Amino acid sequence: MNIGTRKILDRSFTALGIGSIVVMAIALLIVLVPIVSNGFGAICFTGTVEHRKMLLHEFRRGGSESLTSDIATSDRYRSKVYGMLTQFEAELDRMEPEKKREYKEKYTQVRTALQALLGPMPGDPEPMLTRFKYGQTRWEKAEEKAHDLLYESKWDNSNPNVMAKEYFVSRAIGFQGTSLAQLFPYVRENLENMLIPKFTVYWGFITDSSVDSHFFGGIWPEIQGTFFLAVGAMLFAFPLGVIAAVYFTEYAKPGFFNSMLRSANSTLAGVPSIVFGMFGLAFFINTLKVSESKSVLAGALTLAIMILPTIIRAAEEAILAVPKTYREASLSLGSTKWNTIATVILPAALPGILTGGVISLGRAAGETAPIIFTAAVSVGSAIGLADVFSSPTPALSWNIYNLASEHEAASQIRHVQYGMVLSLVTIVLLLNLSAIVLRARISKKLKG
Amino acid sequence: MADESVGGNNRTTAFVISARKRTLQKAAKTVGEGLLLGIASFVAIVVLFIFYFVARDAVPFFQLRGFSEFFTGTNWYPADHPGGFGALAIIYGSLMVTLGSALIAVPMGVAAAICLSDILPFSIRQYAKPVIEMLAAIPSVAFGFFALVILAPLLQNNGGPMLMWAWWILVTPFIVLAVLVAADLLTNSIKDPKRRQQGYVMLLTVFGLISVFLLYKVGTLLYAIQILTGTNALNVSIILSFMALPTIVSVSEDALQAVGRDIREGSYALGATRAETIIKTILPAASSGILAAVILGIMRALGETMVVWMASGNSSHIPEPWFNYLEAIRTLTATIAGDMGEADQVTGSARYHVLFAMGLLLLVISFISNLVSERIVVRQRKILSGQ
Repeated sequence: MNIGTRKILDRSFTALGIGSIVVMAIALLIVLVPIVSNGFGAICFTGTVEHRKMLLHEFRRGGSESLTSDIATSDRYRSKVYGMLTQFEAELDRMEPEKKREYKEKYTQVRTALQALLGPMPGDPEPMLTRFKYGQTRWEKAEEKAHDLLYESKWDNSNPNVMAKEYFVSRAIGFQGTSLAQLFPYVRENLENMLIPKFTVYWGFITDSSVDSHFFGGIWPEIQGTFFLAVGAMLFAFPLGVIAAVYFTEYAKPGFFNSMLRSANSTLAGVPSIVFGMFGLAFFINTLKVSESKSVLAGALTLAIMILPTIIRAAEEAILAVPKTYREASLSLGSTKWNTIATVILPAALPGILTGGVISLGRAAGETAPIIFTAAVSVGSAIGLADVFSSPTPALSWNIYNLASEHEAASQIRHVQYGMVLSLVTIVLLLNLSAIVLRARISKKLKG
Repeated sequence: MADESVGGNNRTTAFVISARKRTLQKAAKTVGEGLLLGIASFVAIVVLFIFYFVARDAVPFFQLRGFSEFFTGTNWYPADHPGGFGALAIIYGSLMVTLGSALIAVPMGVAAAICLSDILPFSIRQYAKPVIEMLAAIPSVAFGFFALVILAPLLQNNGGPMLMWAWWILVTPFIVLAVLVAADLLTNSIKDPKRRQQGYVMLLTVFGLISVFLLYKVGTLLYAIQILTGTNALNVSIILSFMALPTIVSVSEDALQAVGRDIREGSYALGATRAETIIKTILPAASSGILAAVILGIMRALGETMVVWMASGNSSHIPEPWFNYLEAIRTLTATIAGDMGEADQVTGSARYHVLFAMGLLLLVISFISNLVSERIVVRQRKILSGQ
């Protein structure tokens, strides 16, 4: 090969390496940016008067004169809509049977769309589910529903070779010549007056419990459940892990037994997380019966086993990184081995050990598979500290799965799902970030 | 230890320790170390317990239904009476996404590790490391959510154009390089410099035209593809590869750094470029460590639950044709996660035990690959330190 080609190959080799790191960074951004931007939408959004009504009725919050006047204004604009409906119903009664049937069907669609937009109409029976008690609480959803009201969606199947295309037909055309025709331009012009959108910062998303399986309200039960599970796991795993690391670094003598223990440690680190879940079910719940069925305790124990190897490894590394001179100085002053470990080595290694602990805490908070069978339920209220031994809890990680995949109206509560993902990712990344900062400090300190 | 040796012969001052105290101290030491040993071996006990309890619930399945159906059948109807427990399609689905993610993650991961250990200056490396750590830290359910809610609709609606652009962006640089190298190598034997130059240019043009045609043709083929469902093996493979990458990068970076400076400098002294040094000397020296990294990364992909459960489509059949990554599949982990809730109600049935059989299969695979990768790392360390 001539030297030019060799140089090009050399350069492109470098480019390949840098390129793959750049791809990783871009992948991280592609995953995080939509989660962050949509996740903030759960807290900061343009809320309608329905949102403020919901807060007042469900959480007894935010009742004020401005809300009363807002409700009065919106009711004034809405009453005209309802008036048009009554007028058309009367007109419908006078029609010939055939025409009546045709219009009746269309009218029912319009009425349903209006209910979805503005909430139950005067004279409607009180809905059973809270989700139907209010109109659209978020402005962007309200605009979608208003579009559903104004236009009918149809599918174009004329070309059999391509997938069917959706197109929209204005509903106003269908009602041409009747009294209801004036409803559509009225709704289009007065949508803002009927719903009174205002920029809202809803911190309650973090501190409220959910209403009607996450249609309204917040995610506090999930956050609390995640906290209980992760901290519970740490309570078991951290002391055990640190003591085991002390044994491995200070007392273990090389040999068959020791290498077997180390193999066990790396085997445990490699066990798939779902298998931990099965083990938790088969051992903690079905055999030991730590609780009747799923419970926070069983979940925390399962998570503790899962994060144990990580803690042991991190603690070992931290202990080994303590300079030999510390140990020698302590021993030469006449202290015993145990004394040296407790008063010199562990304090010096503490930041490193804590780093490992913090990362494991994040891992325990983010894992889903081990708690599916041992601790997580999809709906539930926040549990008290005394209930952790007996009752299961909702948790962020599990409920993200549940709301996105199994919820009956998953596509309607995307903002809640994004909000949950953002909360979980924020918790985990903040923990990791603090670990990174902590480690940078240690390496500076050790360098002197 | 220290005060024992001091107090031994020299019975004069405050260092003196009575015989009783000494035995007490010895006893405390033995008990303490025993306790430490007990806690340290807790990990080993847990591993044994995991094997025992998963196997205990898996064995009844094989007693009830035997081995052959599980490993060779594709009828997966565990809820029926009599049920079908053929898990071949599910095992195949697991292998498929694992292989798919390895195909993406291994080249990228090794390239990134080389870059981190040999190419980038320290100041940039400082910023690259947290990126990889953050990628490792993002919970799997967040990746699953991304795959289900963002990537799947994208693939479903714009699958063809996305595949075409991916093909062009990823493959074009490699084809350009291949053309350059091929033209160079083929004209190497010509002695006359002028004629060699002419031949080189001619070959470049010919190969160039062929490869442009190839790029265009495959591009249009890919463009025409309609992806019927966004929750498919391709989607999962892409996401899993990003989850496996951090493991591959960090473990193979360790392996590359374990290769000494002397080997690198020897190669440079012989006039090799950096790429040649890395490919011909460092990679072979670190190959076993990189293999261990690949095994660990693959295990991460095989054992992952949430992403595949949410975004693989969960349909247990072998795709048609067998390499079709655009079809929905089902994996072992997702089956366990998805079926346990219902199967747990009927503890003792084959339906419950078959899930533990799958868990045992996963456990055995992960155990073996862990042992193998550990042996590989130990051996490499021995060889490198022996030199």
